[in-house]
Amino acid sequence: MSILHSANLLRNPEDRRSFIEKCAKVSFGLSVLPFFTRIAEAAEAPGAVKAPNAGLPGFGKAKRVIFLQLNGGMSHIDTFDPKTGASKGPGSIVSAKGDMQLTSYLPATAKISDRITVIRSMTAKVGVHASAAYLMRTGFEQRGTVQHPTLGAWAQHFLGSSHKTLPSSVTVNRSSNHGNGWFPAAYSPLPILNPTDGLMDTKSPVSEAVVAKRTGLLAELDAGFGGKASDESVKSYNEFYESTFQLMKSTDLKAFDLASESAETKARYGKSKFGQGCLLARRLIENGVRFVEVASGGWDMHATLDDRMEEIGGDFDRVYATLIQDLESKGLLDTTLVVVASEFGRKPSFEGGGRGHHPLVFSTVLAGGGVKRGFVFGASDEKGYAPAANGVSPGSLHATIAHAAGLPVQTDIITPAGRPMQVGNKAAPQTGVFA
Amino acid sequence: MRPLALFACLCLGLIVHAAPKKDAKKDAKKAEPVIKVVTPPAAPVAALGERAAIWHVWTDKEGQKLDARFCGLAGEFITLQSRDGRTYHFKAEMLSAEDIIFAKSCVDLARRNSFSPAVIASAAADIDRLVSAVLVANKQTLNAPSTDEQFLRRIYLDAAGRVPTATEATTFLASTAPDKRAKLIDELLFSSGYTMQMFNWMADLLRVKDTFAKGVPAFSFEDWLKARLAAGTPWDKLVSEMITADGRLSDNGATGFMLFDAEMPLDGVSNLMTTFLGTNMACAQCHDHPLAEWTQRDFYQMAAFFGATDGKDEAILGAIKKAIKGDASLPKAATTKIADMNAFRLEDGEKQKLTFPKDYKYKDAKAGDPVTPALIAWSKGEKSLPVYHVNTKTPSQLRDEFARWLTSPQNPRFATNIANRIWKKAFGLGVIEPVNDIDDLAEASSPELMAHLTFVMKAAKFDLREVQRVIYNSKTYQASASATPDLGKAKYLFNGPIVRRLSAEQVWDSLIVTAVGTYADNVLLRRGDDLKAMALPAGKVTLAEMKNAVNRTTKAFSGGGKLAGAPKKGGGGSALGLANGYDGDKPISRFSMMLARASELPQPSSETHFLRLWGQGDRLLADSATNDGSVPQVLQMMNGSVGKLVSDVRSAAITDAMKAKTDEGEVTSLYLSYLSRKPTAKELAVASKSLMDGLALTDLAWVLANTREFLFVQ
Repeated sequence: MSILHSANLLRNPEDRRSFIEKCAKVSFGLSVLPFFTRIAEAAEAPGAVKAPNAGLPGFGKAKRVIFLQLNGGMSHIDTFDPKTGASKGPGSIVSAKGDMQLTSYLPATAKISDRITVIRSMTAKVGVHASAAYLMRTGFEQRGTVQHPTLGAWAQHFLGSSHKTLPSSVTVNRSSNHGNGWFPAAYSPLPILNPTDGLMDTKSPVSEAVVAKRTGLLAELDAGFGGKASDESVKSYNEFYESTFQLMKSTDLKAFDLASESAETKARYGKSKFGQGCLLARRLIENGVRFVEVASGGWDMHATLDDRMEEIGGDFDRVYATLIQDLESKGLLDTTLVVVASEFGRKPSFEGGGRGHHPLVFSTVLAGGGVKRGFVFGASDEKGYAPAANGVSPGSLHATIAHAAGLPVQTDIITPAGRPMQVGNKAAPQTGVFA
Repeated sequence: MRPLALFACLCLGLIVHAAPKKDAKKDAKKAEPVIKVVTPPAAPVAALGERAAIWHVWTDKEGQKLDARFCGLAGEFITLQSRDGRTYHFKAEMLSAEDIIFAKSCVDLARRNSFSPAVIASAAADIDRLVSAVLVANKQTLNAPSTDEQFLRRIYLDAAGRVPTATEATTFLASTAPDKRAKLIDELLFSSGYTMQMFNWMADLLRVKDTFAKGVPAFSFEDWLKARLAAGTPWDKLVSEMITADGRLSDNGATGFMLFDAEMPLDGVSNLMTTFLGTNMACAQCHDHPLAEWTQRDFYQMAAFFGATDGKDEAILGAIKKAIKGDASLPKAATTKIADMNAFRLEDGEKQKLTFPKDYKYKDAKAGDPVTPALIAWSKGEKSLPVYHVNTKTPSQLRDEFARWLTSPQNPRFATNIANRIWKKAFGLGVIEPVNDIDDLAEASSPELMAHLTFVMKAAKFDLREVQRVIYNSKTYQASASATPDLGKAKYLFNGPIVRRLSAEQVWDSLIVTAVGTYADNVLLRRGDDLKAMALPAGKVTLAEMKNAVNRTTKAFSGGGKLAGAPKKGGGGSALGLANGYDGDKPISRFSMMLARASELPQPSSETHFLRLWGQGDRLLADSATNDGSVPQVLQMMNGSVGKLVSDVRSAAITDAMKAKTDEGEVTSLYLSYLSRKPTAKELAVASKSLMDGLALTDLAWVLANTREFLFVQ
């Protein structure tokens, strides 16, 4: 199907509207219609969305994704891409499992590195935090005329909701920040700003007896307008209420509750917000949430890099290794893709006690979800200044994750504004990372 | 020609063309020349008189004087602007007796300039005739007239942004005056709630945000917009002021609109085309539009009108850096903010700098060549209109020339775009959908209606209050509501307004008024003047001046200054910080929420605030608000701080109800507060029984707030 043809279909406002309406049927697990799989549905419609990448290695292996965002710009040279010579940082180089080298800031990760793939040839052009973080989060450069969705929203579009009552996407330690992009607001990730608080307002402030009386009276008094409604939007609100009553009684809520974890487990993940956030992420994906973003701050190390790598890098190291081991021991690692991404790397040269922003080459790390174990993909040059082989753009990283999650890449969808768009912004997935 | 005669003339022309839907396309082509015949390009449309600024030396009760311009009297509040650009808002009762009378006479003057009742009636009747003609041709009918109760709730929400209080509801329902609807419309259109709801509506369209890129506070843009709305500034003047604004935010709040995209000027041009003309050129930024006729060259030629405009003063950034170099005493966060604040400003240079992009691939221009500004047209012949004769020879005047073309009644889309958006505001759907793409007028569900609304907009000289007055007085608006139509099957022909969920701001503002009463209408947030603390005096970038600016700013930030007040997560903004930003009455705070109306809270609210959960836009893009539902919304309404607010014994709706002597009286009062109607006999019986059965009035309030009926407007 040509772009123009599909675009013309949606040029018609009614078609565009029906696109929007179809999207709008699903919200936080509640569907007005029985919830649907867009691929399955589209397969029956003319101009079906087929995944051209379906036959390639790794397709659809990742049923869930945990996307760890290290905000500020993780120094690749001081973590996953150690260098000798002038570029070398204060940490020493250690040989890690899986036949790779890491720095001494990552001792715990070195013990589980036989389960990860390090991409050492990430490359981009944006060296400003907010714009670069946007690019790494969405795979698109930031624009003023359009907001791009996160992978969670793309997945919900192509695959439908991931659970009946739980949201399909959640952000932990960060705001959702228009994560739905051009998709309906209902695809926006649910933000959990504090992992130990979990989901807010799930308990009524009054006694159960009063709740029962109130809800009984509510049903009776709203029978006229709400009860007899023929209007679709009123009916969907009836269902939101119904669904909320169910959720409040449901055990699904436990997915948000860190108190149900043992003291031992909580201790393994540590007390930091990042640690507790990763534990929450694990609980959420275990219970049916498909896409969880967890943010960690403090990586903008212009000064005192050594101290801060000990502190922030050390916390990351423990938490990350725990998460990978935990997923492995629960048998979830093969179907869960864990991504470690930072908006850019840091310069090979030192300025004062730290390094400046460096988007030209940096590292990301993948684990689980069908990627190779103990593998290094691509390389930076000797100084860690530029990619030496297999440069991977943020768009291509997104195409790779989307491919692992079973989404059609390099396939147009038409936004409600009538613009053709592709997950990963037209880039091809790096199938070389898959086992 | 008098407006009344114009309406008559237009309608005679149009009724003939009202035709079955299948012929809509053909008819659209006929409809267009009708407008051109009736309103020839240069014809003077005598409608609303110009509103000359009224300057006056005002005296308050204590004898203090202020030389200021009258900006508006909304509800109990007067807005004045002094010659140095400061705005003043206070209760008019603080003025001397003579000046109170003078302020009222200013309002009367403004009202005298508005449409006469006869013109309103005629223009509204024309809407009804045009809608009915299309309905009849499609074998449909207008819905039955709305009941007084339905109308009451609808007009309060649409014109004042909230539901009426029990007292307000009783007053209207008890009135037997035959023109009580028209009277209420007029009253609400001049209430402070009108300004508040118009602000919410425009804030979504214009992307009004507390902070722009790099955390630069933009409160002065908000203040500017509120002052203009209170003054009833027509849309064309408002837009023109935003497009042509010069200077820094601290000196001129109107710069806020253009500065939003200061670092992405091409995106800025795309955005303003969509917002003000309903034309979508975003695709043409990078390549010829795949779906419409716009080429990349079209886009660049339009963007070139902004090619001499600079939004960021790199020189001053360098100068500030140099001035403070080596001084470790200045806090970095404050200096960076001050530097950015002074750097973001609009200024026109002597040279148009835009060139075709390096990757330009079409034959109609060469990559890297300078672009000659040129205006787009939607159909043949438009380019010969006088308004298309713009001067493109003086680069520093390009923006002004563009604004003149953009906001002219002769512009082929400017009036239609805003008329269609205002119609959608009242009915729930535009005559042309989607409202951000109206290139093809034949897409209108009734091109004749669209043409008429465009005409009314021009006749009202873009006074949005007058256009809404016309719409609200139509039988079409006052018909009972239709269920959400399935637009996949057919276009909606406006049998009446559409049942729809209240906007986030309408739900919130209604709950605020049930909690604290009409008090909330007098709580006004104004923080823009504090930005002046950050402004460096012109041409004085010295270490001493930076130190002064830092001191002034730190003072404003700390000690509860108005700049403090970043929204706290989950709450309604930092109570201490925000509270100092309020003029007039101070908001009450309960359950960690600031009980002010949505327009008088951080813009937009924090992501976990009730307003955002219920769909207030994030203002990153135009039209980002939604009516979508979600489970977290319901959780907060039932169990969260808003649920507690509703069932709080201090709630105004509850204390009002308790004044009644009987259970029936209490129930009736609560029904009026939440649903703007009296309960049916059965509801009265059920609710009264529950009050004897262990539930309190606070529980009944919770129940009513959680009904679907409360969330929807019929």
